[in-house]
Amino acid sequence: MQGMAKHIAIVEDDPDQRANYCDALAKKGYEVTAYASRPEALEGFASSLPDLVILDIILSGEEDAGFDLCRSLLQRAPELPVLFLTERTDEVDKISGLRLGAWDYLSKPISLQYLAERVSSLLRIVEPSALPEQHESSKVGNLEVDLDKLTATWRGRRVPLSGTELRMLHMLIEQPDSAVSYARLMKATMQPLVTNNTINTHMRNIRRKFVSIDAGFSCISNEYGYGYRWIVQ
Amino acid sequence: MKLFGKVRGLRLATKLALVGPVLILAPIYALIQQLDLESVFVEAQAQSMLRTAQGMSTIFNGREDLFENLAINTEDYEPIYARPLVRPIRLDGNPEDWLEQSERTHTFGDGEDEDARFSISIGERDDAVYGFLNIHDDRLVYRDARVLRLDNADHLRLEFLRLDGSQARLAITFTAPGIVTAYDMDDNWQFAESGKPENQVRGFVEETEQGYALEFRMPTDMLAAATTVGFSFVDVDDAETRAIRHITRSLPSAGRSAFNLVRLRSTELLNILDGLGFSDGRVMVIDGDNRLRAASGAVSRNLATISLEDEFRPTAWLRSLVRPATTLSQDPVQSEQVATQVIDSALAGTPSVERRLHESGFELITAAYPIVSTDQVLGTVVVEQATDRTLSMQSQAIDRLFGILLATFVLIMVALFGFSARLAWRIGHLRAETSRAIDESGRLKIAKFRREQKAGDEIGDLARSISTMLSSLQRYTGFLERMPRTLRHEIHNPLNTLTTSLENLAEEVEEARKSKYLASARRGVARIGFILQGLADAASLEESLKTEAPESCDVATLVDSYVRNCALNHPQREFIYRGPEQGLVCNLPDYRMEQVLDKLIDNAIDFGREDSPIVVQVELQQPMVRVSIANRGPVLPLSDEQSLFESMVSHRKSQKRLHFGLGLYIVKIIAEYHGGSARALNLVDGSGVLLVVDLPLLRERELTTFPKESLTKPAA
Repeated sequence: MQGMAKHIAIVEDDPDQRANYCDALAKKGYEVTAYASRPEALEGFASSLPDLVILDIILSGEEDAGFDLCRSLLQRAPELPVLFLTERTDEVDKISGLRLGAWDYLSKPISLQYLAERVSSLLRIVEPSALPEQHESSKVGNLEVDLDKLTATWRGRRVPLSGTELRMLHMLIEQPDSAVSYARLMKATMQPLVTNNTINTHMRNIRRKFVSIDAGFSCISNEYGYGYRWIVQ
Repeated sequence: MKLFGKVRGLRLATKLALVGPVLILAPIYALIQQLDLESVFVEAQAQSMLRTAQGMSTIFNGREDLFENLAINTEDYEPIYARPLVRPIRLDGNPEDWLEQSERTHTFGDGEDEDARFSISIGERDDAVYGFLNIHDDRLVYRDARVLRLDNADHLRLEFLRLDGSQARLAITFTAPGIVTAYDMDDNWQFAESGKPENQVRGFVEETEQGYALEFRMPTDMLAAATTVGFSFVDVDDAETRAIRHITRSLPSAGRSAFNLVRLRSTELLNILDGLGFSDGRVMVIDGDNRLRAASGAVSRNLATISLEDEFRPTAWLRSLVRPATTLSQDPVQSEQVATQVIDSALAGTPSVERRLHESGFELITAAYPIVSTDQVLGTVVVEQATDRTLSMQSQAIDRLFGILLATFVLIMVALFGFSARLAWRIGHLRAETSRAIDESGRLKIAKFRREQKAGDEIGDLARSISTMLSSLQRYTGFLERMPRTLRHEIHNPLNTLTTSLENLAEEVEEARKSKYLASARRGVARIGFILQGLADAASLEESLKTEAPESCDVATLVDSYVRNCALNHPQREFIYRGPEQGLVCNLPDYRMEQVLDKLIDNAIDFGREDSPIVVQVELQQPMVRVSIANRGPVLPLSDEQSLFESMVSHRKSQKRLHFGLGLYIVKIIAEYHGGSARALNLVDGSGVLLVVDLPLLRERELTTFPKESLTKPAA
């Protein structure tokens, strides 16, 4: 890591989790500030804004404290990457979080490794100049996936996939024409607790996004009871 | 048995319909009471009539003079008594009306000269004197209407004294068989006094084998003071000369008085009777020789009764129902005998009263009380009265009462029926709403009743308490339903602490990274996470299903592929697929079918014997596609075959993983949501369990690749 350490703010009311995040991210070389409540965080943000903010939604009993914080932060700095990390996994919460302008919505329990990875990739997007040398990009047939840029292109058109979806797609095209098991695909979610059904849901979303661009898309095939396969055409 | 199972008992309205008619007993009971009263009334009337007769008899007691007051000495005559007639007489020359009087027939005329002999019966009835003559005549000569003289044909002569003391001469003439004509005659019995016939005297003549049968009637008033009347038959045999051949008189010899009929009526007795002013019936005085000496009044029926009987009366048949046999004889002839008995009994010295049926259908009470002198019974006072008046009042009262009771009964029945129908309707709706409140799988649909909430009665109470129960139940089930999600929310934080701590621990401590304890801690955390995930998924499954766009998939292809992949995931187990490779399209998304198979296979792996294969079969059983998974192993208790697919029901002990019984519940929810069903059966040979999922077949067709089907659908 070159230059000044990036400043990451974590707002989390549970002291153990807060400490764990702080330790993990600090180890990755970030400068981490942790806040336990909404007023505390607002006070801290008043003096200076961090480079990236990780927010829990429920803070010390305040139901939507995280949303409120996100709103006020983005009012001051619309370009600030905000990331929700919460136990509220309902679709409604996810949608309202993203609508507020958050960059990502992560569910607990989370793997710290994945969190660090998300943080770093979001920071890279903010500062393209800071892009590392290695360029992780794969191309299979008409599909091109760039994990660093977090983009997927199908027949020259951008497919709007989320981070997790991109990672799964990448896993599929690593071994084109051969089936990828659910167990492997689960790793792409970077979450410790994933069921087959979660994978199915992600895959459906991926398919849908492809089909919305190309109605004849049929490269993803389900290997029932095992996993998925990318068929090269 | 099935029938008995269905018929639990009678409906409310039916019960009421059965119980209600018991109310009709009230008017019937009242009717019986009234009829009892009726006989009491009639009895009272009879007694009062006997008292009346007794009272009257006291007037005549010791008055021998009244009974001996005959104008002429009967020793000189053979008296003919005008006796009261029981039956009405029809003037038709038919002797049948007179059969009862046959014993009292008197014959006049010379025995050796059979011609012109006649016999006569006399009777009184309804203020008229009736006579029947049977006349022997070998040659019948009818009057020639063109001839003024009246004595030149067969005719009958009547002689008696008028009120003014003058002598009355009446000739009854006839021009042919049929109606006769009477005339007042001159002193010589040759011509009519005036040209007009005496219309008060009517009669009828009929030819018989012997001669004539002549019947006549004249008002008693005409005979007013007369105690004796003479009858003579004038016989003309030669139609040419028309000379009187013979005159047969009712008097044995011509040398005596011409008046030869004794009338027994006593004017003095009659005056006394009239003076008593008894108007409600008939009073008769009969002497010791059973002869009617005076009569006053008449037995008449009450007009009201007559008019009532003409109308339809519901009580009439009810009366006959309640009192089928009356104590009275229905035969008027017998009734006459009863009356005779009464009189005979009174003449023997015993007061007596009888009820009998009059021939015109009404009931008559006859009371007779003896008139006594010092040592003998002079006669009897007979009082006759119809019970109609009493009974008609009675009957009107009954009709009124019965009408009121009947109307009340009908009103009560209608009200009861209305009430019960309303009750049944309310209870029915309450039942319907209650059964709607909870669906087949026991979930609460309605938490608050709208019906009967304001009703103040017991049904309202019931509805309110059910409503309250449902509200409590809703709170409770709401709590239960929210629980998995709440639990997941609540546990995610400590779980996150655990996972992140374990991660940091592995990062920080080199030894810990390799420690088996860290690995087991991670497995434990993962397991908790899966349980939570499963609970939350199951809880929100139905909601998710509702938001899904309809899709279809080829179940045969899917299951075939799935079973082949199972062998990869579980190399230690054997899987067998039986069924077509493709072509059975069902109306559910592929990932849901996969989810169903996940759960079914998990279940089979967990409970099947490891050395036995798991057989997955797909077959078409129109209109359903049947997916069945059989595994050898422990069987299900019989009662659990149905409940196995319920939430949180796990009957079999599995050593391998934690079971909340959610898997099969999810199968059931998915199958039923897509119009199918799921059930568990024991294998017939008892060697294992068969899980069966039926899904409706959308269509049968050849498919080359399945995914195209779902991919061509627009995004939801």
